[in-house]
Amino acid sequence: MVEIRDGIIYIKLGVGLSGELAVEPLVEVSGVSVRFGSFLALDNLSLRVMPGEVFGLLGPNGAGKTTTIKVLMGLVAASFGNVKVCGFNPLLEPVAVKSRIGYVAENSIVYESLSPRDFFEFVVSMRNIDSVSANRVVSRLADVFDLAQYFDSPIATLSMGLKQKVALIAAFIHQPPVLLLDEPLNGLDAKSSRVVKDLMSLHVQRGGAVLFSTHIMEIAEQLCTRIGIIDHGKVVAVGTLDQLRSKTDGKGSSLEDLFLKLTNEESAVAERSRMLREAFFSNETH
Amino acid sequence: MKLTEAWRLSSLPYREVVYRSLAQERNRMWWGSFGRKSANKDSADDVELSKKALRIAKFDKIIIALFNLVVAIIPFSSFFFGSTAFGLSSSVSLSLAITFGFMTLYAIQTLSSFVSTDSSVLLSTLPVSQDDFSLITLFSFVRSVDYLVVGSILCQVILVAYLTLSPLAAALMFVASLINSVFAVTVALWLSRVFHKNYLRGGRSKRTTVFRDLFVLLWGCLLMGVGLLLSVPYYILPILDNTLQSANVLVGFLLSLFFPFSAGLLVSQLSGSIIPLFTTFGALAAMIFYVLGAWFSGKWSLGTVKLIAQGTGVKIDRSRAIDFQIKTSSPLRGYVMKDLRVTSRNPATAFFFVLPIFETVIVAFLASNVEFLRASTVLVATSMGAIFALLIPLALLNSEGKGIEYAKTLPITSQRMVSAKALITTLTFFPVPVALFCLALFKPPNSWFTVLIPFFMVISIVSARSLRF
Repeated sequence: MVEIRDGIIYIKLGVGLSGELAVEPLVEVSGVSVRFGSFLALDNLSLRVMPGEVFGLLGPNGAGKTTTIKVLMGLVAASFGNVKVCGFNPLLEPVAVKSRIGYVAENSIVYESLSPRDFFEFVVSMRNIDSVSANRVVSRLADVFDLAQYFDSPIATLSMGLKQKVALIAAFIHQPPVLLLDEPLNGLDAKSSRVVKDLMSLHVQRGGAVLFSTHIMEIAEQLCTRIGIIDHGKVVAVGTLDQLRSKTDGKGSSLEDLFLKLTNEESAVAERSRMLREAFFSNETH
Repeated sequence: MKLTEAWRLSSLPYREVVYRSLAQERNRMWWGSFGRKSANKDSADDVELSKKALRIAKFDKIIIALFNLVVAIIPFSSFFFGSTAFGLSSSVSLSLAITFGFMTLYAIQTLSSFVSTDSSVLLSTLPVSQDDFSLITLFSFVRSVDYLVVGSILCQVILVAYLTLSPLAAALMFVASLINSVFAVTVALWLSRVFHKNYLRGGRSKRTTVFRDLFVLLWGCLLMGVGLLLSVPYYILPILDNTLQSANVLVGFLLSLFFPFSAGLLVSQLSGSIIPLFTTFGALAAMIFYVLGAWFSGKWSLGTVKLIAQGTGVKIDRSRAIDFQIKTSSPLRGYVMKDLRVTSRNPATAFFFVLPIFETVIVAFLASNVEFLRASTVLVATSMGAIFALLIPLALLNSEGKGIEYAKTLPITSQRMVSAKALITTLTFFPVPVALFCLALFKPPNSWFTVLIPFFMVISIVSARSLRF
């Protein structure tokens, strides 16, 4: 069943992961502004993530990617605008929203003195998941991520990549309809990166949605159904890779080139490259 | 490298330790709103936060050093009130023992950051020789206890010089205070290492769990023992004085072999007190032994700090998990279990597991000398329990550290988090009314109504669950 509203195509996918009818966008942000003192972190930002979609949020450092994700989690209050996740407002119904989201923070913040086993027990208890399904998910993912050797060691003693794996398992543990992943592949080895990418693909095939932030263009190019480029708290472009190419007349150009064009960084990058070349190689040329 | 240069550079790892320990515990009440205002900004205020962390650490060090001065002076206070009830030997011994306990307690709280290599990561990437690197790390370690050590040494030396007017006694007191400080820091470092090693052991076997629980209880008993020493010097002083003044030469001789009594007896001897020659020689021999002991323990501390900085001092045990089974529970029970686990793995907060035992002992101690259980005894016991009950939420919040940021992403209300903490606090307070009630069965109270007072207190602690943060 297809329905068109506000220029957006809504496809009825049937029963979603949480058992609800997924006809609405799973993530909807309209006209959101966030201000920290005099600093405008998000400026009238709007985006939508539909079921079955991997939405990549791209932007330079400090562009507002993490803030956007925190607004969706209800961790940061928007000064203006509306936010809905699975039809709920994160500030008014935080428990409803958080129970439908799997979240991985940029620095994989977890309780470092706990072991992964203790940590998963805590997460499962907080999410009120039944023992059988929790054990099934944890066993499979821990096995896939090779966590056996580290399962009972304090998280503080694990490497960055292993901590990221623990955070990812905790985000998938309740099989939520929406995954909010802030730089999810940080520190992961090639095998684990592949596993995460496959998990994301499987998740959207089952009607879920993924919104993830990254600044690695190849990953965004590979995985994303749609890409939103964000700069200075504003969405400067949204669309599929082809749509972005057509917007910038960049036929055949890579996402990195498009990104630099859209964020008006092309000339600045060229200038910096020239300065670096001068600084490092001027002696050699002389 | 010049010592001044090494001292200057040592502010880098020191700053890192201070910043990390505060940033990880940004929700602690003591520090006010450290880091909270800028929680939403990425790193714009990191420099300001780092400066603030240093200011807080300095303030903290000054307060602790002042408190240490006060506890070092208390055993000498009788001299200033014209009383000669207690001898100089017992005052010196007790002052040294109390400052030892206090310094150990404080150092255990602060040195836990040193037992990981995090603070020297940046320094280790710079082109600095291994010896200089160790020296800088050692200085950064000294920086965390400098005010405390200098303050207690100065205070004790000045007091002895003033009371004895003997430069030799003052010089001996200086040596004794220095040894005391070296021993305190060494013991704290050793205990922190033992705790850290135990914490890194991991594993979930029954043997490991029993061992870990036992260790946490012993840890708590040790810290509480030091606390007891700090809180009841006037109970100890008469007993100590009687023992040191004992006519039994053998008892005096045996005591003279142990620090800090050996120092106390020697200082007393130099000030003109009459002490048997046999005991004086024993004390002198013991002091020489302790000076050597302090030299070696200082060297051990130096070596340990060096190993920690190099990251080679701690072996991490990785035992392969046999299964991936996890136990599920209700959200409240899950949060309580998490709080208990996290708190037991933090050397600064693990002590509270022994509070129920400690409270029972104190209640029994308070009631031991009375024939009837008076309302005043009940009130004192209840107030003591209430003070501990105030400390527990602080300890629980401290141990949450950065993890609270994760907890906020889970579908739980802040009220549930508070409920978990209120429940743990209530459970740790509960031994007070129970112990008083049991005592009342043997020592009849003036009125049975008084025994109910601490039970009313339970209601007010439980009511904390209605708070929000």
